[in-house]
Amino acid sequence: MDDDISDILASVSAPLPSQRKLDLQALTRAWVNERTSPTLLPYPSQLIDRVTDRIKKQIETIEEMTSDMDPKSNFILVVLQTELERFKFLVRSFLRARLAKIDKFPYHYRDLALSDPNILSHLEQQYLQSHQALLASHYHASFLSIFPQGLQKLDDTTGLSMIDRPEEDSAVFCRVLRDAGGVVIQSEGGAGEVELTRGDVWVLRWRAVKDAVVRGDVELL
Amino acid sequence: MALLLPPGLTPAEVGFLCEMELVTVIPRQRLDELQLLGGPTQPLNPPFPTPLPLWLALLLKRQKRANISPPPWLSVECLTSILDFETDVRTAEVLSPPPKLPRPTGVALEDEPYLSHESSELSPPFLPESSTSQAQSDALPYHWLELGHLLLTHAADDFDDANAIRRLLRDLQEVRMSKLRKGFRVLGPGAGVKMNGVGGMEVAEIRGFLLSGMSAGTNMMCRRINRPNEENQKEREANERENGFGGDDYQDDEDDMQL
Repeated sequence: MDDDISDILASVSAPLPSQRKLDLQALTRAWVNERTSPTLLPYPSQLIDRVTDRIKKQIETIEEMTSDMDPKSNFILVVLQTELERFKFLVRSFLRARLAKIDKFPYHYRDLALSDPNILSHLEQQYLQSHQALLASHYHASFLSIFPQGLQKLDDTTGLSMIDRPEEDSAVFCRVLRDAGGVVIQSEGGAGEVELTRGDVWVLRWRAVKDAVVRGDVELL
Repeated sequence: MALLLPPGLTPAEVGFLCEMELVTVIPRQRLDELQLLGGPTQPLNPPFPTPLPLWLALLLKRQKRANISPPPWLSVECLTSILDFETDVRTAEVLSPPPKLPRPTGVALEDEPYLSHESSELSPPFLPESSTSQAQSDALPYHWLELGHLLLTHAADDFDDANAIRRLLRDLQEVRMSKLRKGFRVLGPGAGVKMNGVGGMEVAEIRGFLLSGMSAGTNMMCRRINRPNEENQKEREANERENGFGGDDYQDDEDDMQL
């Protein structure tokens, strides 16, 4: 009981975290989720816009401080630059992990982007289209053109589909952030249910937790 | 340029995450509030202990501008009692429980966009008190191994008995890893596995070992169990080499964030 009261007091009196801190937390979660999930997650465009804006401004600040040549600010510069590099790493690794998935399953994500516009950013769409156009014309010029007409397509779905899809049944490590009820998991012996309780760490199939990750009830590890 | 790493964080990346944990710093010099991208830092005013992210604390430590006050669980006494729990036959099936979580802060709203602030819950490495001097002393937080390793490497003189702690961490690492592996050998391929209390570096280490069994379809695990022991052993060793602890194979200079 006393515990509960002190918890409530702590939550009331604690200062609200700044927008910047919240963005760092969100970016870190976005990065870990994207690095560990088998499929692309929605692109958090506002978050990435805010962060890249701040990175630009911080670079300007650092340049100004460098040109001042104030020996006192030398150490501060080291700190600012170290932090800047950490942020740049997060953003870069996040975007590169997404590109890797787009490169691996280009036709799948091209089709998915038509029905779900949030899945790819504007730039990623452009990249996907021009990259695929280049590849297709290269394949065509080097060997596809000598094939019979019916065998020239790269994304034929009649018969066995040529469009590769990511493996949604692969297993992921996840942490439950909020009680989220049960999820059904398929095993050999039939379907079982797993209760998602705050704080639990599970290894589950990606298919079973994907929606909960997008809702923010579960994060990947 | 697309990333060429398989899904899952590398040990170096887990270390990078761990460097965002808050630790308690005892400053030796004044330092004003800094406007960082991740929010302002607290001003340093010797000798008042102040929480700072680990990467910054290590930077200050290296320049002898501050000392780091280790979290209470990273002490001979506390680690010994946790090790007792881990080696007790009655708790041979589970890992020691993680620290108590703070109260949940948000509720999921309908149709909220992915990663929106209104409903986001804190989790490691951003839990406020998992590695500061206010941390709970009888439980290992998510980044226990990485944090202990980094502090013992770069701030060994801030401990009373660094060697004993190092030994205890190694013992804990071994007994927990053998539990994790034993636990997985009895797993069915489709079922979920509960792993409360597991640490970040441990996840990085066992990911390949576990997922190769679960993902490759239903027959994989049975085949693995039916195979002669020798072959199993060989495969396990190969897995260990692949997913080893060193992280030496991750040599992407451009992205190398080690301080």
